Amino acid sequence: MPPKPRKPPPRKQSGNRNLLIAAGAAAAVVLVLVGASLLLRGGDSSGGGGGSGGVTGIEEAATLLDGIPQDRAVLGAPKAKVTLIQFEDLQCPICRRYQAEGFPGVVESYVRPGKVKLRMVGMAFIGPDSEKALLYTLAAGEQGKLWQFQDALYANQGEENSGWVTDALLEKIATGLGLDWAKLKKDADSAVTLQQANSMADEANQKQIQGTPAFYVQVGDQQPYQVNPSSFDPSAFASILDDALSS
Amino acid sequence: MVSDRALRAGVAVVALAGVAVAGYLTYVHYQPEALICTAGGGCETVQDSSYAELLGIPVALLGLLAYVAVLMLVAWDSELARTLAAAIALSAVGFAVYLITLQAFVIDAWCVWCLVNDLVIVPLLAVLTVWRVRRTSA
Repeated sequence: MPPKPRKPPPRKQSGNRNLLIAAGAAAAVVLVLVGASLLLRGGDSSGGGGGSGGVTGIEEAATLLDGIPQDRAVLGAPKAKVTLIQFEDLQCPICRRYQAEGFPGVVESYVRPGKVKLRMVGMAFIGPDSEKALLYTLAAGEQGKLWQFQDALYANQGEENSGWVTDALLEKIATGLGLDWAKLKKDADSAVTLQQANSMADEANQKQIQGTPAFYVQVGDQQPYQVNPSSFDPSAFASILDDALSS
Repeated sequence: MVSDRALRAGVAVVALAGVAVAGYLTYVHYQPEALICTAGGGCETVQDSSYAELLGIPVALLGLLAYVAVLMLVAWDSELARTLAAAIALSAVGFAVYLITLQAFVIDAWCVWCLVNDLVIVPLLAVLTVWRVRRTSA
């Protein structure tokens, strides 16, 4: 008996059926993912004081920096051997993260004991809010509270270039820190403050800073050198600063 | 006619590119200091937004796992594997549309590496994986 001819495999139907199955499964997966994303999204990590809601971080800034000497953009004992130079933009969310995670540890372990001083080099390259924030922060230096103002401003940071640096927010921070608001406003508009901001921009340009935050360490009067902490954990800064102190 | 071998190699190459991009975005999610703010801002806003995680898992990590799964399915290579790879790639297309919409209308900021993934790698992967499945009907 001759062998029965084999039926050709139903490839066309098989391919189309598989494609339909894939598309159906994909649609279901997308529905689940989008639904979960909208309903159960992670916590909003933006600081977002933004001037409309309550202002936070004032007490914390005052407590953290209480009793530490500061001279405009320099925080800490003038005779400290090592200077940690911070290039930052007050609108930069990564700078805010450093401020929250790394800065307090550096202040408590190195600045308060007088081993290290910090120097802020403010940049205003993200957008218009950066410039306003920087000028008011520098102006707070005229009343000896640049660093408290900077810290509180980071705690209330809003979305980039959203107009979050409002007069209302600045005034609440200023009055919360015990600053003279009228003087602060006047100083922020002054030629001296603008000059300070421009010289910081020049320094950043000279060092070809492409993004923030960027850190340099200066030992005594030696040439500053760039450092790249592996994380914002205080231990990452500890190894950098201990090396500089022991050099 | 493109051979299945060439398509298979294409899927593997595109999935590897996806691993690289999603791997980088996962890395900066866990090591945010690796990310810096640059002129105009943007990327860090997207990475920092509440949509960057799903049930505590970074969206970039989900992408990375999807690309690794596609690579494993390419290595397995069966009718079921081809179908599953296409399903993953088509899911990625749908989710990429959602992520682009979020960047445009909700977060109001653009992440360049996310766009490379969503506009180039994901569509390319979908075309190649679907092509492989359809090829069985040729």
